[in-house]
Amino acid sequence: MLKTLLKGGIAAAALWAAAPGAMAQELVIGLRAGPDSIDPHWSTLGSQAEALRHVFDTLVGVDENLQLIPGLATGWEPIDEDTWEFKIREGVQFHNGETLTAHDVKFSIERIPAVTGPMSMTIYTKRVKDVEVIDDNTLHVHTNGTAPSLPNDFIRLFVVPASTGMEAGNEEFNSGEKAIGTGPYEYVSWEPKGDLKLERFDGYWGETPHWQTVIRREIADDAARVAALQSGQVDLINYVPASDYLTMQGNPDLDTFVSDSVYILNIAPSVKDEEPQPITIDGKEVEGNPLQDLRVRKALDLAIDRNTLVRVVLEGLGTPANQLMPEGFFGYSDKLGERQYDLEQAKALMAEAGYPDGFEIDFTCTNNRVPGDAVVCEALAQMWSKLGLKVNAQALNGTVFFPAAAREEYTMTMSAWGTLTGEASYTYGSLTHSKDDELGLGAFNRTGYANAEFDTLFDEGQMTLDEAKRRDLFEQASFIAMEDRALIPTVILQTVWAAEADTLSFTPRTDQETLAYKISPAE
Amino acid sequence: MSDTTLSEGGPVPVPSAPPAETRATRLRHFWDDYRRAPMAVAALGLVVLMLLLSFGAPLVAPQDPYDMAALDYADAFLRPGETGSGGYVHLLGTDNAGRDMLSAILYGLKTSFVIGLSAGALALALGISVGLTAAYFGSRVEALLMRVVDLQLSMPAILLALVLVAVLGQGVAQIVLALVVAQYAYFARTTHGAATAERRKDYIEAARSTPLPTHRVLLRHLLPNVMPPLIVVATVQVASAIALEATLSFLGVGLPLTEPSLGSLISNGFKYIHTDRTWLSIYPGVALMVTVVAINLVGDQVRTVLDPRNSR
Amino acid sequence: MTGFLLQRLMQAAAVIVAMSVIVFTGVFAIGNPIDVLIDPGADQAIRAKLIAQYGLDQPLWRQYFAFVGNVVRGDLGTSMVYNVPVVDLVFSRLPATLELVLVSVTIAAGIGIPAGIWAGYHPGSLSARAIMALSVLGFSVPTFWIGMLLIMTFAVQLGWLPSGGRGDLGQLLWFETSLATADGWSHVIMPAINLSLFKMGLMIRLSRAGMVEAMRTDYVRFARAQGLPDHQIVTRHVLRNISIPLVTVFGLELGSTLAFAVVTESVFNWPGVGKLIIDSILQLDRPVMVSYLVMVVVLFVLINLVVDLIYARLDPRVRLKGGA
Repeated sequence: MLKTLLKGGIAAAALWAAAPGAMAQELVIGLRAGPDSIDPHWSTLGSQAEALRHVFDTLVGVDENLQLIPGLATGWEPIDEDTWEFKIREGVQFHNGETLTAHDVKFSIERIPAVTGPMSMTIYTKRVKDVEVIDDNTLHVHTNGTAPSLPNDFIRLFVVPASTGMEAGNEEFNSGEKAIGTGPYEYVSWEPKGDLKLERFDGYWGETPHWQTVIRREIADDAARVAALQSGQVDLINYVPASDYLTMQGNPDLDTFVSDSVYILNIAPSVKDEEPQPITIDGKEVEGNPLQDLRVRKALDLAIDRNTLVRVVLEGLGTPANQLMPEGFFGYSDKLGERQYDLEQAKALMAEAGYPDGFEIDFTCTNNRVPGDAVVCEALAQMWSKLGLKVNAQALNGTVFFPAAAREEYTMTMSAWGTLTGEASYTYGSLTHSKDDELGLGAFNRTGYANAEFDTLFDEGQMTLDEAKRRDLFEQASFIAMEDRALIPTVILQTVWAAEADTLSFTPRTDQETLAYKISPAE
Repeated sequence: MSDTTLSEGGPVPVPSAPPAETRATRLRHFWDDYRRAPMAVAALGLVVLMLLLSFGAPLVAPQDPYDMAALDYADAFLRPGETGSGGYVHLLGTDNAGRDMLSAILYGLKTSFVIGLSAGALALALGISVGLTAAYFGSRVEALLMRVVDLQLSMPAILLALVLVAVLGQGVAQIVLALVVAQYAYFARTTHGAATAERRKDYIEAARSTPLPTHRVLLRHLLPNVMPPLIVVATVQVASAIALEATLSFLGVGLPLTEPSLGSLISNGFKYIHTDRTWLSIYPGVALMVTVVAINLVGDQVRTVLDPRNSR
Repeated sequence: MTGFLLQRLMQAAAVIVAMSVIVFTGVFAIGNPIDVLIDPGADQAIRAKLIAQYGLDQPLWRQYFAFVGNVVRGDLGTSMVYNVPVVDLVFSRLPATLELVLVSVTIAAGIGIPAGIWAGYHPGSLSARAIMALSVLGFSVPTFWIGMLLIMTFAVQLGWLPSGGRGDLGQLLWFETSLATADGWSHVIMPAINLSLFKMGLMIRLSRAGMVEAMRTDYVRFARAQGLPDHQIVTRHVLRNISIPLVTVFGLELGSTLAFAVVTESVFNWPGVGKLIIDSILQLDRPVMVSYLVMVVVLFVLINLVVDLIYARLDPRVRLKGGA
């Protein structure tokens, strides 16, 4: 009965929304992607976390620049080499009236391995050995060895009540039966690729959000999303395509919001003894792998005109990158200067390395994985052709690209990487550390890059609890990998939101999340 | 149900051409018939012109849009009529990579012609063979062939294209192959449908009872009578082949992005549909439309002329 | 007749097996689904564990037989992405697609066939020329282009219709459908028109071609000379003569729009199955791909069965034999 009433109410609300401004209590957001499930422990997908953050809270919170802030835990500290203590917030209520305790957190951590899917959430709990409840508001997490970045791992640790039970799965969550969290909104309904409907939770422990009802509508097609905003069907959209950004800026009826993202487009040159796709001169395979020569990698780097990439190719929606993370992230090296564009020097380096007339090389990128990847790919091919290279650029769908990249079939690739935890071990440990299956390092190192000096510094950082010392070690490690051109960063992508002019007040976030409870009507 | 008028008025057996008539005179007759429709003549002229322009693109286009070194990002998004760093006027403007749109359209048209026509021709040939064989022989052969066709109809072109790109990389041949597989089934069903109706008719039964070789009955008697609907479907399918190729490019399993086809130009232009850079979406679209309209007009007239019942 | 149907059924089973084998091999050729889905934060141990969890470390034939075993037990599999049984996933979105296809083929046939007949009946007239010119527009302009143009005009500029999505549901006979509400119709009409244009163009051209051809035949000339009224000639004789290619193409279009109306569904954000399957293919969500494509192949076998039955009704000389 209640459900039918609710449904009717929402339908009526949807009709109201058609008349602009009539319903200030409802917010309709048009999003490029939505969740895959309502079970918060099913998938690490970004759009999943973003949606479920409305219903469930995480143990550790992050601000709009991905720096840690208190969440359901009010504080945390290491109490010995392999134990972290978390203080659990008091007086927090679940949507079903239960009160949050450390038992719920323990249950949530232990539930993950049992229910998680192919985008496995165990990446956040892999350092956890076991969890010990000290009292209702104190939790000890014992780790496998020293785990200084454990709090960063917990920024997507959603907490569900222990009464959920281990047997509850996807079905119970999608139906709403078990979709019970401590978040600012209660779950109303959702279907795959459809609308996620939310209703304000009045017992929320934090700041009360403005909107009574929120509809998060998945509109995957870029042009369709823009049209939905222009026709007033939605109040706000994310991922405005670069091609529309300039036009929107000139449109007095629309407001745009721009933010740096955590995503950087990186070039990955294979430095193995035998490159996977042959590099040729006049059709004849070159002796050895030219990309092993640092001078060649430097020449490739120097031939990239990052300002043109940003200004023309991305229509202003980017920032030149000089390392794998944006400034301010934990382990960002200040010593790396801005990357230079110097075609003459690049040509000289190529000549010095023994390739005065360049060579022919395959270059493979993702297509439409992040905004701008295909156009940047094309632009790089064009820039390198000025260096005398013949570049066979292909922008492939992720479906083809990722499995082949995992099989290490490409000589040189470009794809996006986002430092989602806001610190260096996540990125450098995966991309530039030498491959070590035992330690789980270098899992996405497809270039064969290995530098003992880098590894030593990084490994030491991984073991150091002292924050200042760890930061210094990571900074040194990043510096080495970047000077080596292990990967060549190109641009930090920016993303755009748009809303009807003067309707919403909204602070964009680096992690791209569009959170209804952080949005309020314009003053 | 039985309707005698139908069989009486049914298709006329095609008389074998008198031996005296040479290929040249037949061609002349064909042309005499064809040129009765001035619109169709104009359309034919247009098709020929576009073929010449696109295949002669290296000679007429102001720029080689596939030569990366010739492009400059300083020339990106020039409006139609502006002069770029190359010192010549970009009649149709430039795209996001500084590519001259006129040149890109001419080169792209060639790629699309190659893809659309070769995929169309191959699919048509394969489809006709399968459809005719199935209808003529019936029983097991028919069952086998038509179920294979059902199977192929249910297979989305994108899946096939993904497999081909994964195994062979991007390229024109892969796209053609994907399109042939996606489209031949259509022709096969159409042929089979029309031919099933024909095969029971008296003239085929009569032909079958004579010692004429099978292929002769199939090609000389059955085929001409199933041609009319096939030509309609074929002319339409050339257009949809180009559109399908655009969709595949859009999904990242089409052609390399440094060598745009008309289809990829259109899907690229689509990104600018909400902006004032209208030349990026309009001109490739118009090029496709004019091409398709012209091909259809030609197809219509050819069908009229070839129609065996077109007694004068 | 029964023998004919029985044989078709057996053929359908063979086609299903063939389809599932093809999809398994195809996915295998593209790559490991885990590599498409996996989170970049995952290490080697997690990857290995996932591959084992989904049985992807097994030889292909063993994976295939595991699938067949489940199907025999009535389990068509669970989506790797949504963790929802494939059958539920598909059937939750099927009604939306059915609505859209129903409206669009009705528009296409309802306008296309009469217009084509008219154009064939009055060849050379101004109205016939206009109809033919319009029909060319239907397939020479890409679908996404026209779709966006419709949205820009009727949703953004004029504000008459919503830009996308499916409208409110209502009860119509035994079904819950958006075709029962005014709001539902305001949502369905634009995508349906967009989807129908190509089909309409084809229908117009096919029926005109057939009409022109039929009008030249001796029996129509004879009938006209005898003074039979035109509408009688058309309905009694001509329609039947041109219906075989029309029915064939109608069946083909019906099947392919039901299964893969991706472009229109994307542009109008219509919650149908076409988009679901394309996304599943792009994510290599193998359980959804296999099961859905098996359903599609069954659909095509069914549609073509109906089409063959219609042939036989239209033309009594087409005999239904076991083979056909």
